[in-house]
Amino acid sequence: MRATVKGRIAVFHPQGFLDGNNAPSFLTIDDIKATEALNVDMLLVSLKKVIFFNKNGLDVFIRLLLEIRNQKHITVGLCDYDHTKFKTINAFYGGNLNFSLFRTEKIAELFAPTNKSDSKTVLVYNDDPSQRSAMAIELFDYGHNPIIAQTQKEFDEKKHTPDLYYAIIEDTYLGLFGQKIATRVTGNAIIYTIANFLDAEIGNTFNIAYHNNSLNVGFRLFIFDAYKVVSMNVHALNFFTKLASSAAEYNATICFAGMTFEKTPESFKNDLEDAGILFFDQMDDILKNKELLQELGGSSSASKQTRSVTKALISELPNFIDATVSTISMMTNAKATKNSVNMQTLDIGSARNQYASSIGFYGDVDGMIILIFPKKIAKKTCELLIGEDTDDEEAMLDALAEFVNIIGGRAKALLGEKKQHVDITLPRTYGNVHSLMEMAQNKKGVQVNLDFEGSQFVFFLTR
Amino acid sequence: MVTAEQITLYIQTIPAVPSILKEALAHIRNGELTKAAKCAEEDPALKLYLKTLVNRPAFGFRNEVSDVSQIFSILGTAGAYQILHNYLLSLLVPKKWSLFDLSATAFYDLQASLSQKWEHILAHLRLQNQDTQSAISLLPAGIIVCDALFGEHKADVEQLRSVKALDYNTILYRVSQRTLFDICDDIARIWEMPPLAARIVHGASGLDPHLEGNEKLLAQWMHLLLFYELSQGPYVSAGLNEFLDFQIDFVHDIYESFIQVVGYDESNR
Repeated sequence: MRATVKGRIAVFHPQGFLDGNNAPSFLTIDDIKATEALNVDMLLVSLKKVIFFNKNGLDVFIRLLLEIRNQKHITVGLCDYDHTKFKTINAFYGGNLNFSLFRTEKIAELFAPTNKSDSKTVLVYNDDPSQRSAMAIELFDYGHNPIIAQTQKEFDEKKHTPDLYYAIIEDTYLGLFGQKIATRVTGNAIIYTIANFLDAEIGNTFNIAYHNNSLNVGFRLFIFDAYKVVSMNVHALNFFTKLASSAAEYNATICFAGMTFEKTPESFKNDLEDAGILFFDQMDDILKNKELLQELGGSSSASKQTRSVTKALISELPNFIDATVSTISMMTNAKATKNSVNMQTLDIGSARNQYASSIGFYGDVDGMIILIFPKKIAKKTCELLIGEDTDDEEAMLDALAEFVNIIGGRAKALLGEKKQHVDITLPRTYGNVHSLMEMAQNKKGVQVNLDFEGSQFVFFLTR
Repeated sequence: MVTAEQITLYIQTIPAVPSILKEALAHIRNGELTKAAKCAEEDPALKLYLKTLVNRPAFGFRNEVSDVSQIFSILGTAGAYQILHNYLLSLLVPKKWSLFDLSATAFYDLQASLSQKWEHILAHLRLQNQDTQSAISLLPAGIIVCDALFGEHKADVEQLRSVKALDYNTILYRVSQRTLFDICDDIARIWEMPPLAARIVHGASGLDPHLEGNEKLLAQWMHLLLFYELSQGPYVSAGLNEFLDFQIDFVHDIYESFIQVVGYDESNR
């Protein structure tokens, strides 16, 4: 059984009965290898479709989860269960519960980094005060707005108005959480929350894959929320200096907000400034200053300078187009045909009634695929993933992200056949194409206009 | 991906019921087991199948049973009727499975185990008759159809499933507006199976909102039985756990009775 990957979360979905006799059959050696190779921040087992499980059955999955957590410092656990199953799991593992429990996948997503910048208001209750605090801190660090109920009574009262909350978090437990630095997106800036003493361990807790993803899909401003940092040592200094050098290649900016140097040598600040890192007293000094944001790259019109398209990238163009066309064909049983191919800056005509999505790739070749569809074509191509006729824009954009993820996976496989290794980034979607255009307008690339059932859509390959 | 045209072409390849089998089934419907056995003896392939199936461990016979009339008299009218339909289904089994990692033996074991447990279930529900008993023979047809339709799209499905946990039945419905259970209906019509059997199997998808009364009850039990079997190690390894979306709410109220009837010991696992 392979895990399904959505954003930065991978989930196994076993069905039926899960016991010591059959559980090993769910995970072959190939499945374990494929899971170990996943580039995710959270690995979960969904119990939604499991009607019976016992400890022997769960242990088979838990062993794999813990092994992967030890290697990769990611969050692992179980999700999608009801109150009875939650009580059963707690009875099985009691005080040794060293993995997380999320009542639903939707709740788990709140505790993982995404490419989305929308802050969610959530109601939280746990009868353990330390769990309540841990959840509040994590949710806040991931950019959400947690409303914490201090008592069961308060929680029951607040639960009566569920429409006020994106999610109600109960029967949830954070086990060995906070192994990774929390990440959130605000507009076009990525904010990382760092705390306490920064040392060599930051190399493990900082999610470098997510950071590279973000660079590759066009983010140009990275802010370290450093209010809670007590001090850093020379290993952390080296880490940030290297991070600044790699960001410079993408013309990206790294800032620290709220960092004090009472217990950290002042010379470190000079070294970091020499590496190009900027320091601000308050987060709002950056986020509320539109001109400064634009200057730093945190507004959409980010790229002051563009990276040119390489010959190596252009020579792989047929693979990327093939991946796109074959994915559309698979999803719709209809063919997309190529109309024109030009080296140019992105030109989409009118931005109205269009959706866009992008996915980056890096490795032996690096670049980004951008797709811009009329909304009705986007809907058609994603019908298989959505399954019902919907006008819900969030569901549509989620499906579009899954769609470009498949294209990315196919392109990766096609390049792999030619011994070219690439990794793909998180997909990014745009309900409003203007924000994409602001990010990509100066980029030169190869624009391919494609025809699908009488309508045009745009494929753009750039760096 | 699978197209409506591919489904039509597949249905056209389903063989009609062989004349010997038709005759044997007619004898059983008339309660003439001896005549049915005599008739079945004339078809060596059928004879070999019956002998192989009833001697699988699921049937639990201590000594080898090889004589067709002996097989029929042990199984009784409803059992014989069901096993002849099992044979009919075996005519659809591919020589080599392309989507699921199944062997012929594993498939026979699945058929045998489903048949045996279904018989216990029908006895528990006191709903034993030829029509209800033969329904279980049709159930694995969905697996065969799934393998035939998706076999050449295995890589596509794997990529699709890497981003979304979709089962084969749902994928088929979304691309063609037909489910694997709709195709089982077509097979039942071609093979002139009892309409009740076809309705129970269709309901065993867990997605049929029109079922009521005993038909709904049987569909619930069959859905849970299917997932009980598809949770067994060899079928999980074969990839069958992902064949269909398990409708856990559909079977919740029969779960406790089910584990008693099939003898599932929760504490010894």
